[in-house]
Amino acid sequence: MPDPNSKVSLANSEHPVAKGSSARKRIRVLAVSIALVCTWLTVRFPYEAKSGLEHLLNGPNQVNPQTLHLRGEFMESNLGPAEEPGGGVTVRIIAQQYLFVPHCIVVPTGVPIRVRMTSADVVHKLSIGDTNEEVKAVPGYVVETRVQFERAGEHQMPCHEFCGPGHYTMRSRLIAVSPEEFRKLSPQGRMNCASR
Amino acid sequence: MRRGRWLTKVRSGLETRTAARVQPMAIFVLLWGNVVFMGSDVALAPARIPSNVAWTAETIATASSGDAFRGSLIGRRCDRCHGREGFSSSPSIPNLASMDRLVIWKQLDDFRSGKRSSHVMQPIANSLSLRDSADVAAYYWMLPIAPDPHDDRAFPQAMSDPKHEAIAGRLISTGDGRRGLPPCQACHGPIGFVVGAPSLATQNATYLLEQIEAFASGGRANDINMRMRAIATQLTEDERHALAESYGAGVAGSGSRLAAR
Repeated sequence: MPDPNSKVSLANSEHPVAKGSSARKRIRVLAVSIALVCTWLTVRFPYEAKSGLEHLLNGPNQVNPQTLHLRGEFMESNLGPAEEPGGGVTVRIIAQQYLFVPHCIVVPTGVPIRVRMTSADVVHKLSIGDTNEEVKAVPGYVVETRVQFERAGEHQMPCHEFCGPGHYTMRSRLIAVSPEEFRKLSPQGRMNCASR
Repeated sequence: MRRGRWLTKVRSGLETRTAARVQPMAIFVLLWGNVVFMGSDVALAPARIPSNVAWTAETIATASSGDAFRGSLIGRRCDRCHGREGFSSSPSIPNLASMDRLVIWKQLDDFRSGKRSSHVMQPIANSLSLRDSADVAAYYWMLPIAPDPHDDRAFPQAMSDPKHEAIAGRLISTGDGRRGLPPCQACHGPIGFVVGAPSLATQNATYLLEQIEAFASGGRANDINMRMRAIATQLTEDERHALAESYGAGVAGSGSRLAAR
């Protein structure tokens, strides 16, 4: 009996079994690769801000720095920490000359925190004190980073990119509190400690 | 030869049996992709728009295309409160002389849309068209801040407390980095100039204090991206008075208008 996988029998197109299995295998390989591409297109991997399909449809995350207050996710009522349905917290920040808004942010400890930021005017850089995170905010684009705080405490968030004459005073605060306290402080999941 | 047959085979397979599987899969992938795409904006809260003005190139072009002569005719209506030369005789009414035209245009637009409230200014702004606002803004922008002995102006006023000068001087020139308070002059002149930030060098003290208090309490909330609200809420009572009085006394004023241009 000839080996159906051998080169000789593959070349022999008269052999019905060899022809059928080869075609089926190719279809299977094709289907698997299509499935992989589809997964890449649609699944948001933990280290990616967007799925591949979003990249294909929209290009990189873009916003109009002049109209942040009129539409989109950076309207002022949407700034600061917001609890997500999945359990994490998303913090939205606008960097502008010479302030980060909100000026002071409260986040819970022990949950993944997604920081989404954009700039309203020039390039700024948010450095989150005591962590190794530093994100550059470029006008027109949304940048995203993930942090998590294990212990409660206060962190300074200065601007690490010269942005003009007020640059050296540009800093905001981030206060990590326990999840229970966070829930108590902000029942809607939005907390701003900027007032004094 | 073999490749050609293989393709035919795949094609016929797709047409007959696989099509039924591939089509729902494609639809599923597209739907899923849309859900993932919308995922970035799920947490949208009820929106509040502080001001309808956005400093796009078109807005800046419209706001700075005013005709100062036509504005001078419309501006006769403003004389009674804002003064013939743009300096008010009442310290609670802002001085408009040499105020940046984009600033005046934006405030008129905010009064018109109700984003900034005033019993006096809202009806007046409502009677002005976009072009009228640009013309009036161009007129006041053109007026000089030079002193005039025939003019009845409230500015400058003496400071009530001499120690306020030191407090205000520090905040105006260097800010307070520990609290993240930028120096006033970084936006309001003389060093920097941010679009939409008024030059405060010749502003009346009472008016400034009222505005700082309004920003702090949320009574005035037409600052784009909460800039002034974030700052004003952090100023102590003493600092608010010190800043208002210091600007009202003209301490911070020397040369700031020229540098702001």
